[in-house]
Amino acid sequence: MIPPPASFSSPLLRGYRGLAGRHDEAVAADGTVRPAWQEFTRSLGDDPLATLRAAGDAARRAIVEQDVSLNLYSAESSDSIAWPLDVVPLLLGGEDWNRLSAGLRQRARLFNLLLQDLYGPQRMLRQGLLPAALGMANPHFLRACAGLGKSRQPFLHTYAADVARSPDGRWWVLQDRLDAPSGLGYALQNRTIVRQVLPGAFHHAPVSRLYRFIRDFRESLDVLQAQGESSRLVLLTPGPANESYYEHAYLARYLGCPLVEGGDLTTRDRQVFLRTVGGLRQVGVILRRLDSEFCDPLELDPRSLLGVPGLVHAAQSGRVAIANQLGGRALESTALLSFLPTLCEHLLDEELLLPSAATWWGGQVSARDYILDHLGELVIKPTFSGASAPATVYAGGLDAGQREALAARIAADPAAFCGQERVLLGTTPAWDPEAASLRPTPFVARLYLSANEGEFQVMPGGLGRFNLSGEDAMVSLQSGSVSKDVWVLSSQHNDDPPAHFAAGASERRHGAATPSRLADNLFWLGRYLERTSQVTRLLAKLHPLLRDEIAVLDPGVAEDTVAFILRLQDLHQPVSGSLDERADFVRRIAGDRTRPGSLAANLLRLARTLETAKVRLPPEAWRVARQLRQLSQGTPDFTEVQTQLSQLDGLAAETMVHDTGWRFLDLGRRIERAVHILQLIRALLERPTRDPDPTEFRLQTCLHLADSLFTYRASFSGAFHPASVMAWMLAEPENPRGLRFQAERITEHLAALPDELAPRPVELLRTTVFRLLSSVRLADMQTLASTPEQASELWNDQLALLADLSDRLTQIYFAHTEPSENGAG
Amino acid sequence: MPVYRIRHSTLYRHGTAAAMAWQSLRLQPRREANQECLEFELELNPRPADLSVRTDYFGNTQHVFTVRAVHREFSIQAHSLVRREEPARPAPNPALSVAATSDAIDREVLQGDFALEQYRHPSPLVPSFPAVESLTDAVDSALPLLEWMDAFGAVFSRSFGFDTTATLVSTPLEEVLRLRRGVCQDFAHLYIAGARSLGLAAAYVSGYLLTQPPPGQPRFVGADAMHAWVSVHVPGTGWVDYDPTNRCFAGSGHLVVARGRDYGDVSPTRGVFNGGGAQTLYLGVTVEPEEVTAP
Repeated sequence: MIPPPASFSSPLLRGYRGLAGRHDEAVAADGTVRPAWQEFTRSLGDDPLATLRAAGDAARRAIVEQDVSLNLYSAESSDSIAWPLDVVPLLLGGEDWNRLSAGLRQRARLFNLLLQDLYGPQRMLRQGLLPAALGMANPHFLRACAGLGKSRQPFLHTYAADVARSPDGRWWVLQDRLDAPSGLGYALQNRTIVRQVLPGAFHHAPVSRLYRFIRDFRESLDVLQAQGESSRLVLLTPGPANESYYEHAYLARYLGCPLVEGGDLTTRDRQVFLRTVGGLRQVGVILRRLDSEFCDPLELDPRSLLGVPGLVHAAQSGRVAIANQLGGRALESTALLSFLPTLCEHLLDEELLLPSAATWWGGQVSARDYILDHLGELVIKPTFSGASAPATVYAGGLDAGQREALAARIAADPAAFCGQERVLLGTTPAWDPEAASLRPTPFVARLYLSANEGEFQVMPGGLGRFNLSGEDAMVSLQSGSVSKDVWVLSSQHNDDPPAHFAAGASERRHGAATPSRLADNLFWLGRYLERTSQVTRLLAKLHPLLRDEIAVLDPGVAEDTVAFILRLQDLHQPVSGSLDERADFVRRIAGDRTRPGSLAANLLRLARTLETAKVRLPPEAWRVARQLRQLSQGTPDFTEVQTQLSQLDGLAAETMVHDTGWRFLDLGRRIERAVHILQLIRALLERPTRDPDPTEFRLQTCLHLADSLFTYRASFSGAFHPASVMAWMLAEPENPRGLRFQAERITEHLAALPDELAPRPVELLRTTVFRLLSSVRLADMQTLASTPEQASELWNDQLALLADLSDRLTQIYFAHTEPSENGAG
Repeated sequence: MPVYRIRHSTLYRHGTAAAMAWQSLRLQPRREANQECLEFELELNPRPADLSVRTDYFGNTQHVFTVRAVHREFSIQAHSLVRREEPARPAPNPALSVAATSDAIDREVLQGDFALEQYRHPSPLVPSFPAVESLTDAVDSALPLLEWMDAFGAVFSRSFGFDTTATLVSTPLEEVLRLRRGVCQDFAHLYIAGARSLGLAAAYVSGYLLTQPPPGQPRFVGADAMHAWVSVHVPGTGWVDYDPTNRCFAGSGHLVVARGRDYGDVSPTRGVFNGGGAQTLYLGVTVEPEEVTAP
């Protein structure tokens, strides 16, 4: 490398100074710019500030387009925000990175051994190397999982550490993540975006690529599979309400494995199965993003609705591998940090390479006294985290009274508290949008390791985080921090991998393997999508209809239409007032979210269903979901709703793979549309026998509301006859908005769905739709037009068949009512 | 040596049909120094599709199974035959006060008996709370440990009422203390909270009492259901069981099923159902002395 010129100068770092008493990544204490930052600055071109500003804008656009999001919790509501990302990367590398990696690998090996021991022979407790209370009084030590440490698989598959730079430039570990470390998906996503928006700098710098790590990560999961089992990998998520659901979906897609919730899995005979539309499929490996405590209501927290009953016993039997094994949070205790050096020497016969901030655990008499004597200098943390744990507090920031109260609490239960030296986090340049320049910001980097055939590998990258306010206190994603990509600069050149590398994705998915809950969600997505778009279209057509001059010829048509739209929104009692007042009322209740059938409520339901089926939809659909949520607040703008819905339509038809999942979506929408056609016909054309034939205006409106007027006109010329209108809406195979067209699509879909699960019920299901199709095909329209009772009866029968179809579908493919296997008790 | 025949029946009745059930049972009496489980049989209806037996962290026998038949009712009958001796009463040790015991346990823990530590700290159903002092303050902690145990037990017979309607499994312990009413489980938990607040190691014991007492003796409280008492670790001796509900040290009529930190560790039946709606639980326990014919 060329020695840095004595007077390196760049507008980017002009005026940039590190903070007193802290290490800075870009500029040394004497003001010289570090080599990596000189290179990075040069690679940004002649106007680096403009390059960074443009990159920031592009990243924001990409985040909005791909709808990268983070769910935030507050007291009563939860909301999601766009993913906060600073495009200026954290630059690491060289000998410094090698030392850090070696330290992390050692730490991962150490924690794996400690967990195997804690959930196995418990020698560390017996020998007193781990104080008894840290194991035995630890609320996160899961006794039901005792014994899991004896398994041959690594206890700790994925290890993450939050590291920061100490003032002298050495790395410190602030926190070890041993249970279900989060953020890996976000780290991958950050890389994808940053390399896109800073292409020059990225390709100029020797940035280590992440794909090798991810490929090995995926392979290491396959290796966990119990021998001789042919089964699959799933990613277990707490679900869409979790803060980082986005990354679970992203990671599942990246790894090419199904994203499942507890309800998708079931256990029998100490094996784990995925419920699919084709029956139960054995699961060999679970990549877990659900906290251990919630994983099994039978053996762990019984209040958990997110878990899989029997999972602990399946893990104990070794018939399923879980990464990470259950119970790792037990060793995330702050107190453990003060015992790690000794444990490391004992277990590995090595000196602990990476220090933690100095920590004192109140459970030891001398440490307790130290804490009380030096309270003003220490950060006081709970020994065990949890809902009832005391909050972390910097005692130096308290007034005398508060400090006294804290001292009293510590003295009363010293083992519940730890004191930790206050850490002045090192800084790195971050983009300050207000000043449009870089400024030094304290940061924490989360780095990831995974166990691969007995060795831990470090991901050459990670998730950098900093606090916008520039304070170090607690950098957590929940409290408004910003993320960064981490570039590990390496002299070893890496080939560029394919843009979106997914290790296991070459294996084609079997249609029958679609998870039942996903199929269920897609089915309802189809139904809500259709229902919402019907209601919207009717509402949009109502106003012109009321203003139509010919309407005076048959005022009953507008009356019936208003009543129909009211019924569609679940309002069955008559509404008083003039027609215009009633029409206004119709539009008003459309915006009332509290009314279950209102357009707004349907929009919200549609958005929620979209979110649950997120993983199988193209990213554009995720953005639509967000828009729909916004539209559901207040009276929706019908045109805007229609725009969003047609975008969804297009995605469903043209972008989704037409696989089994898609068939369920389309089944939902065809069934809903068929129901709607029949309801509309009944609303406008059903009449007592002695009444005169419907007027031409009525027939025309009926076609118009069913979106069939244009096609009808294209096929028929001249007058509107009841028989031909009915034929067009019901029996015509070429009208895509007609009943027959729907029945034929339903028939096709049902024929393509798996039937090995329950051959007989599936046969009955297919018979149901066959009856529907025949009743449409064979109906004589002339007779129907002239004998209204017969018509009413037919429509009722057809509606009943459709309801039956939906029920049967649910029972067979989604509900999995388990067939009785032991009739004789 | 007395032998007892125990019949423990549990019936779950569901509001609507349950499609599947996962069950965990801790119903098999323990094998201990003074007790032997001669026979144990489970009768389950509907019959489970799988049944496995394991030993839990506390050394209790746990039966785990799933039911896959659609069912409205589920019945569990456990039959056991247990031989139980009167445990030897430890020799009184006037030097072993409560404070001295706590120090002695510290030493035992450091010498490798680390598991004692889990009985000295709050557990999920026995949190620590300051008001428990109102109970422990009533007893002189300078008393030798065994005397203290009985004197502390007397607090419950003196100022608490046995009342099966006052509390639920979910009633917080502080509430029980305020109500001064409850069942054996509540008294055991409060006793444990008090003992732990003084640094003692105290465990929860679930088990049975004889349904009809030997002639001339009063009928025990809690004899028609599962019973609960406590066990306190006495350094140099080991665990000594005490029944605060009946204010007595456990004798040959206290048949031990399971031990743990609190009720949560030993719950006799724990189930998760798929479907089933609201459920009602029916329990019945009978414990009879068995005529033993000489071999």
